[in-house]
Amino acid sequence: MLELINISKFYPGVKALQQVSLCVIPGAIHAICGENGAGKSTLMNIIAGNVQPDEGSIRWQGEHIFITSARAAQDLGIGIVHQERSLAENLSIAENVFVEKAPRQRWGWIDRRALNQQTQQLLAELGLLQLSPQQLVSSLSPAQKQLIEIAKALAVAPKLLILDEPSSSLGEQETQLLFGLLQQLKLRGTAILYISHRMAEIFQIADQITVLKDGQSQGSYPAANLDHEKLIQLMVGRKLAQESFASFASKEVCLKIEQLRGVGFSDISFELYRGEILGLAGLIGAGRSELARALFGDQPIQTGTIELAGKAVQFKHPFDAIAAGLAYVPEERKNLGLFLDKSMLENIQSVFLHKQFWLNLEVPRIAEHYREKLRIKTPSLAQQVGLLSGGNQQKIVLAKWLATKPQVLIVDEPTQGIDIGAKVEIYQLLKQLSQEGIGILLISSELPELLLLADRIAVMQQGQIAGILPKEQASEAKIMQLATGQQIQSQ
Amino acid sequence: MKISAIPWAHYLGDRVITLGSTIVVLGIILSLVYPQQFATWDNFSQILLNLSIDTIVAVGMMILMIGGMFDLSVGSIVAFSGGLAAYLMYYHAVPVQVAVLAGLGGALLIGWINGYLIARAGINPMIQTLAMMGIVRGFALMLSGAGLQNFPWEYLILGQSKLLGIAMPIWYMLGIVLLFHVLVERSSFFRRYYFIGGNEKAARLSGIQVERMKIWAFVLSALLAGIAGILLSSRLGAALSTSGRGLELRVITAVILGGASLSGGQGRVMGAFLGALFMALINNALIIGRVSGYWQEVILGIILIAAVVLDQMLLHKVKTKHQTL
Repeated sequence: MLELINISKFYPGVKALQQVSLCVIPGAIHAICGENGAGKSTLMNIIAGNVQPDEGSIRWQGEHIFITSARAAQDLGIGIVHQERSLAENLSIAENVFVEKAPRQRWGWIDRRALNQQTQQLLAELGLLQLSPQQLVSSLSPAQKQLIEIAKALAVAPKLLILDEPSSSLGEQETQLLFGLLQQLKLRGTAILYISHRMAEIFQIADQITVLKDGQSQGSYPAANLDHEKLIQLMVGRKLAQESFASFASKEVCLKIEQLRGVGFSDISFELYRGEILGLAGLIGAGRSELARALFGDQPIQTGTIELAGKAVQFKHPFDAIAAGLAYVPEERKNLGLFLDKSMLENIQSVFLHKQFWLNLEVPRIAEHYREKLRIKTPSLAQQVGLLSGGNQQKIVLAKWLATKPQVLIVDEPTQGIDIGAKVEIYQLLKQLSQEGIGILLISSELPELLLLADRIAVMQQGQIAGILPKEQASEAKIMQLATGQQIQSQ
Repeated sequence: MKISAIPWAHYLGDRVITLGSTIVVLGIILSLVYPQQFATWDNFSQILLNLSIDTIVAVGMMILMIGGMFDLSVGSIVAFSGGLAAYLMYYHAVPVQVAVLAGLGGALLIGWINGYLIARAGINPMIQTLAMMGIVRGFALMLSGAGLQNFPWEYLILGQSKLLGIAMPIWYMLGIVLLFHVLVERSSFFRRYYFIGGNEKAARLSGIQVERMKIWAFVLSALLAGIAGILLSSRLGAALSTSGRGLELRVITAVILGGASLSGGQGRVMGAFLGALFMALINNALIIGRVSGYWQEVILGIILIAAVVLDQMLLHKVKTKHQTL
């Protein structure tokens, strides 16, 4: 269906793509893997018509073509689900989904009834039966927004569907739903290009896998001919030691929560020990982030008590939580964690501003210390963080919070959308911090990550803790059973 | 290409440097073209005196805009604070010190109401301060009517006396600019506004009490407008209800010329001063060149657009160079 032949793209000083060839056939799912900066986005942008290649040619259904604009790509029948959200928050779901091709009546008026009906149908396919087409997009959860984004691409009935990290904000259940849908599309003869960091997913759905590294193709393989280890080796060019980590949990309680209740969660009780990593698993919308933000004083707590190192505390604002020794690395780092237009130095400084009147002159030294300790790759402390890679950005958010010398560190989806190399470094860092005696509450939707790092895993379901599993007893299957509300069968 | 290969690149992003050098060049050109009229002590003091009121208000506006906010009611506050002080002295023979404090206190209250409703009740700053602009102008009209005069001499010396041959409003302006320049560059209190303007949610999660800081910014801006109002009525020897009409837009123009952006997170106090100085120089040149007053507004408008467009082109260049590291 689509054939890319020896595509190259150069930016001043960088070869973004070199001689990459790719062949997409109808009725198959083709996965593209590679670390950040490997050239995946450039390749997508070329197919989407946003960027023109410097060398090479493109064939579409056997004919040589030039995709000169995003519009041209759409007219060919190429649908794209971008990583960045492209929804208008203040419009309804239906208006967003059919923004390009709303059904018309005579005189060109929009046919509201048909619009709502067709939207309803798409929502049903995506398992979003509880949503109404007239609902505003701003009222949806991140996962639902991601699914609407997919509905938008499907609305034009594409011949080729490109998905760029579609599952990064989806929970396990939504992801499985999406996969079912992709399988259906595949059977209908749609060609699918699927870009993802998540290995397990790729092996679950891909028929063909193309690996990119430093702008060069490492070859296309049928999925059956690859396994995890081989794929990682192709992506990073080295073997990755997936060692299991030792536990540094002590007997000393550093955070104790009893009967906590707030918006989105209730009846939460647990203890976190010094040096322990407590995993928090659950589906999207289970209330994990809500709990984290309430613990940090960002959201109100209705009832219940929090004890920090044996002392009862109450936080009205993150200001109080920081003073008490809590740190919170939020999800959506670009939106909540970073000041993208500011330098690394200023980002570290941001957490020192709330108490003293004059600027803390130690901050440059502190920033330099963490830049070395966390191996943050930036040309200088003055570099704008918006220009750094996702992995380095995440390390800067971590550095900022480590600089406050916290007793308890809450990390929410710390490896979302970052490449494997940086992921492993963050794993090692979290373990090292637990060894230093910090209690860590790790929220993650990636089960392998939780199983690798956590000493115990608490599973949340519909705002409550469904169970806490010690490391030895935890498995993906057990966590999913708790998360989806099924009883664990005793064997 | 490495960023270090263009060592001057980051200066292009600093409006204090670019605008400052433009002003120097403009000053040299004007001195050469109009040596008799421009480069004189009298002309310089007149320029500075004329821009002192605007600049004092612009400092508060700059701090607001760094935090991603702005205040349209400052022009009305200028008329109100002068009017309130004048009213008390004229009709109730209140001592000068008390009248001045009352004028400033009134301005402070207005700023607090603005800040409270915007930060706590979540009203959009544009709507809140637009409404306040009308309300306060109405009060100013009630207070000073067709204009009040005959102030005690203690009031008049505030704006009409000179120190070392330089008019007092200029001293006040320089003092306020320097004070806030140092505070904004060196104190974490004022630095917080850069982070609030940059990313409000992240600022809150970093422990910054965003709402409280917003209220302070509106209070400060109104207080500076109040000081400007007292100085203006003292200098003119009259409180006019029309004082400060259009001042808010002039000040916002100066602040944007000085490097602030409407989305927040950028700007420096020195930029507010340079923006006002630049506008005053252009005005002065047009007057000396006998260009019709109608053209002044047209030319200032064009300069504002040109500055913003130029800035985006330069910034874009620097950014693309960053990205190819």
